[in-house]
Amino acid sequence: MRRLLVAALLMLSALPAAAQQAGTGLTRLDDAPPAPDFSLLDMDGAVYRLSDYRGRVVIVNFWATWCPPCREEMPSMQRAWEQLQAEGIVMLGINVGEDEDTIFQFTADYPVDFPLPMDRDSAVTGLWPVRGLPTTFVVDPAGRLVYQAIGSREWDDPALLDLVRALR
Amino acid sequence: MRIGVKPVQALLCAIPLLLGNSAATVERGVDAETGLRSWEWREAGVVLRLVQRLPDQTRAFFQARGFSDAAADRIADACIFQTVFRNESERPLSYSLDDWRVLHGGERGTLVTRERWDAAWQEGEASQAARIALRWSLLPTRQRFEPGDYNWGMSGFGLPPGSVFDLELVVRLGDEHMTRTVGGIECAPDREGI
Repeated sequence: MRRLLVAALLMLSALPAAAQQAGTGLTRLDDAPPAPDFSLLDMDGAVYRLSDYRGRVVIVNFWATWCPPCREEMPSMQRAWEQLQAEGIVMLGINVGEDEDTIFQFTADYPVDFPLPMDRDSAVTGLWPVRGLPTTFVVDPAGRLVYQAIGSREWDDPALLDLVRALR
Repeated sequence: MRIGVKPVQALLCAIPLLLGNSAATVERGVDAETGLRSWEWREAGVVLRLVQRLPDQTRAFFQARGFSDAAADRIADACIFQTVFRNESERPLSYSLDDWRVLHGGERGTLVTRERWDAAWQEGEASQAARIALRWSLLPTRQRFEPGDYNWGMSGFGLPPGSVFDLELVVRLGDEHMTRTVGGIECAPDREGI
């Protein structure tokens, strides 16, 4: 048991805070490839299909509970969502490879209101140009991948949100 | 201690070293709280930070994600580091871990990448969920970072606990091809304290 406790402590403190700073900006994808469609369930059984949101701007975030920068950006994603949802912009946080119980426990510590569809076998994640977590895309109303961010961001940064809003 | 500064950060002891290239630095650190050692290479806005993970730490992580004890041991004993790779430059940065070399005992080894782990498992040794967790928790084998991008991930160097090695890393920054060697990196020993 002591070994596990030591391991848990080290997991929490393995990197200094300075290494945890968020990345910056969004990268414009000049070729704007079509966003691969998906149909995924969240932990309550609700279905989320990307194609249902055609005509709207969609922020699609790929994450996992064990991923430190994913956890780090969740509060700012929630703050951004609180601003954007009334403007018709959609935010989906696709969990990669975990189950309902894990996500449920996570949301007790990181309460978010935006949907968290589950990609249990990571098959959807494999269809998107995702190589590491977190990676986030902004999909325009025509269903094209327009922006990408690798690593966490401060999603309620006004400059960043202006880029998203400009796609409407 | 200032309010808002985590103890682990305040107690960090760093020793700057110079590489052959005068613009590059390697900062070695020892976390006063955990004893974990770190190496941070920084050049032209490219930052690679390696932080030791104790085998116990890695073993517990993967046991909790469905690996058998034996399989978790194999990962834990593969010299795993927590890695942060950042592009703070104004140019695109790309790399392939297949190009990197682990210099140890006169040999030039390779990193244990996602693909090598995928090929290593025997039937029944690791569930699909466990393999997914491993795949996504490792530093991507190939990546292209635009300015401002970064990844976290574990990286495995395939050496026994306590080994000391040099890392030859290769990156492309804009049109510039960079090969650099970071020396004296130490795999964490297989015990609780350091």
